[in-house]
Amino acid sequence: MPFLEEEILDYIHQYGKMASDHVLRLDCERIERMLDRCELTIPKENRFFAVPDHGNIASRVMYGRQDEVHAPICASKLYQNSKSLAYTGACDFGHTSAGWESVISLGIFGLRNRISEYAARADEGTEAFYDNLLRVYDAALRFMRRAADVALAAGKQEMARGLRELCEHAPSNLFEAMQTSIVYYVLQQYFDGTVLRTLGRPDGLFYPFYEKADKADADLLIADYIAEIDRLKAVANIPFALGGSDENGVDLTNALSYAFLHAYGSAQTQNVKLHLLWNEKTPHDFVEAAFRYIRSGNNSIVFMSDRCVISALEGQGVTHRDAARYHIVGCYECGGDEELTCSCNARVNVPKALELALNGGRDMLTGELLGLENNGCLDSYEALFEEFCRQLSYLCGCAMELTDLFEAEYAKIHSAPILSATYCSALEKAGDLYCDYTAKYNSSSLNALGLATAADSLAAIRKAVFEDRTVSLARFVEILKSNWENEEHFRLLIKNKYPKYGMGDARTDAIAKRIVDVLSDSVRCKPNAKGGKWRLGLFSINWRWAFGEKTAASADGRCLGEPISQNTGASFGCDREGATPHLLSVASIDATRVPNGAIADIDLHSSAVRGENGIRALVSSLEGYFSLGGFAVHYNVLDTETLMDARKHPEKYPNLQVRLCGWNVRYTLLSEKEQMEFIERSTR
Amino acid sequence: MKGRISGIKRMEIHDGEGLRTTVFFKGCPLRCLWCHNPESLSFERQVAYFKGKCISCGACRGEQSAEAAERCPTGALWVYGMEYEAEALAALLSADAPFFGEKGGVTLSGGECLAQPEFAVALAKALFDRGIGVYIDTCGHAKREVLENLIPYTEKFLYDVKAMDEAVHLRCTGKGNARILENLSFLCERGCRVEIRYPLVKGYNDGECEKIAEFLLGLKGIEKIKVLQYHSFAASRYEALEMPCHLPSEETLLEDVERAVAVFKSFGLPAVNGAKED
Repeated sequence: MPFLEEEILDYIHQYGKMASDHVLRLDCERIERMLDRCELTIPKENRFFAVPDHGNIASRVMYGRQDEVHAPICASKLYQNSKSLAYTGACDFGHTSAGWESVISLGIFGLRNRISEYAARADEGTEAFYDNLLRVYDAALRFMRRAADVALAAGKQEMARGLRELCEHAPSNLFEAMQTSIVYYVLQQYFDGTVLRTLGRPDGLFYPFYEKADKADADLLIADYIAEIDRLKAVANIPFALGGSDENGVDLTNALSYAFLHAYGSAQTQNVKLHLLWNEKTPHDFVEAAFRYIRSGNNSIVFMSDRCVISALEGQGVTHRDAARYHIVGCYECGGDEELTCSCNARVNVPKALELALNGGRDMLTGELLGLENNGCLDSYEALFEEFCRQLSYLCGCAMELTDLFEAEYAKIHSAPILSATYCSALEKAGDLYCDYTAKYNSSSLNALGLATAADSLAAIRKAVFEDRTVSLARFVEILKSNWENEEHFRLLIKNKYPKYGMGDARTDAIAKRIVDVLSDSVRCKPNAKGGKWRLGLFSINWRWAFGEKTAASADGRCLGEPISQNTGASFGCDREGATPHLLSVASIDATRVPNGAIADIDLHSSAVRGENGIRALVSSLEGYFSLGGFAVHYNVLDTETLMDARKHPEKYPNLQVRLCGWNVRYTLLSEKEQMEFIERSTR
Repeated sequence: MKGRISGIKRMEIHDGEGLRTTVFFKGCPLRCLWCHNPESLSFERQVAYFKGKCISCGACRGEQSAEAAERCPTGALWVYGMEYEAEALAALLSADAPFFGEKGGVTLSGGECLAQPEFAVALAKALFDRGIGVYIDTCGHAKREVLENLIPYTEKFLYDVKAMDEAVHLRCTGKGNARILENLSFLCERGCRVEIRYPLVKGYNDGECEKIAEFLLGLKGIEKIKVLQYHSFAASRYEALEMPCHLPSEETLLEDVERAVAVFKSFGLPAVNGAKED
């Protein structure tokens, strides 16, 4: 740890005491001192230079300031109500892409010189910004020189030579380009403290160097690069993207895309994730190769549709050129070139909006008024749906308002000088990406959770109350409030026998589509606090567990506290008709209105997609889904662990299929002995 | 034209090429001892009872009927034998057309799809008219004219050959094989695309390999011979349907399949191991 505890506290408490550029100046001073003081050691296994994170100093400073700055907002009713998890709002320091084309083409040396070129042309009053950035980049170059010496002392000739070259030139070969990528990651992630959630598109970025390289050497380098990335400390994981298309629609898959895919597929990494950017012209054998890796147990490949993503970004006002160069920060969230996506600001609990609609705007668990009061007169399905929309729109408003309050305070919390120097927009506007909102697109994002839970619940009420008339709405609400007390038969009937989103049932899918349209109307392109626009996302990842715990029983047969549905897919077990109906349902929503990500998670057993024909089927399921307008899809080919869990909890896996002898059967329909045998077989 | 089916499986890869939807017709003229689809044997609607899924809620009032199955909240009571108009079923099946790609489509299987001849032809035609490729998965025990009527709408036949020896065939399936082999020859003469499926069941038809190979050598247009591995996994469904279960207890090993594949290959026939390749 290069800092004393009191020094860190000083950086936290000094914010905002002077001029508005004070945070940037303080952060640059801190970064410079960290770079100059940090200990450098080179682990034996490293081919590329990287350092470990230094005690989270940057994030401690950032979050320490945030706690103080946000304290008054946290005392507000708006924030207190968000603890119910009907909605939440937050700053997002965690989802950024660098201007990777600048980083790799210029190198750290070139980035520094570009700042100095801008500084030479600076207007009065903007010099301080460039001086701050120069201070940090000069320190970065000193840090790299020091690293070169340590590398040389450790007998790492290639590393030492590369680092020395990079202190004086832009990268000139594949090793140096890769070393630049890793050094940049370290600088932004550990020293700047702004979480970097993508390495960009290496098949495009590194191609000019790859072309000139010996191919066997290059393959080794790629494998070593991936191994090095795997060793870096990451918040969640470190993604990179392959493929894609340019602004004229020309497919960008090249020889390096294949080399990276094969190196990644063989690497068996836990930390590195791949986004495969698909378009109609993506070579078949490239997609097939990706599926082979997925099937062999490599589950960290996500497919993205260029057409849908580009169209969704253009809908936000991103230019076609910038949209075609999109990045994915983290899981599925797409942003255009020079867009600060802030993909995880706000969240809205969609099933909660229905809970509020059914309960006069009040939380069923606490009785708190979280939504809008109503007179409870819901005498038709349409009236209920309208009321649900009113509450949903209100919750979106709350989530955005709270986030806007938080985001208006970035200038007192965090600056990102290392990152800012990679964005032309920040250099042109002479301001920091966070403190001064200088990204070309300053987005804020809202993720709606539990789409399927809400759609299935509305469908269940429509059928039971307004169509079959088996129960009154008032009684149904009482049943939900009691968490299905003495109504287990009714609950299971709904859960197992009613139509659900994920089964390709057009009427239920239409409800989901309407919900997405309402969400989109409430969120999309609304102005945020940063001079940019709000974006909608439909992923829930593991938040759905916490949100489920605070959500009353829902009309789809879900019990109080159970997780709500995952991402944009079906509720658990509601994919029981198979993968294609599941994909049909997800593709039925208008994902071009959801640039922050709409994702289907498809579970398949490896034996159900075996052999060459299994690959063929996987490819055509993907192509079908994207031709129908799908945004992103993640295939899970399941393994022993899942089979074991399915044996203990069959209700969680009604559609888990296994291959018998020329056909598939549902795993849960097999006897215990048969299930055990599959488990044994899967361990062979 | 109405037909009765026991189930539909989507994104199926084992019943032909590409991504397919398989329609299981209800009812079969054969009674193969190793049958894995007991719910497809009878032509009548059946209600199965899966004991493991029953929560003893009493909603069925102890009845095992279609009406009681509707009230069953867990699917412990399950009706096999939905009825469809061919047109309506074709419309339903075409939902997956965007996923079929170049090679995929719909496979009519069973049970025995040829045992509901008018329905099978109407369905195949309705699918064909929608541009969907149709495969026919058959045991071959049907009148010649049924096959003839299907040929115009069928992309490929998946054709079972279980034994050459008439007595073995009779013992294993309850019927002789003369008509089956004649129909196979007929399809080949007509230039149809045919893939042979040979379910290898130890102690029953594993001695038939060479004889089958010799017969197939005399036929034209056999694209592939797939040797299928036998498992005894269908026992729970026999129990649920209260049907006597005569499933052979000895399972076919991977080595057995490989051996059979080698025999076919020694005759120059294009055999594959169905447990590995599809």
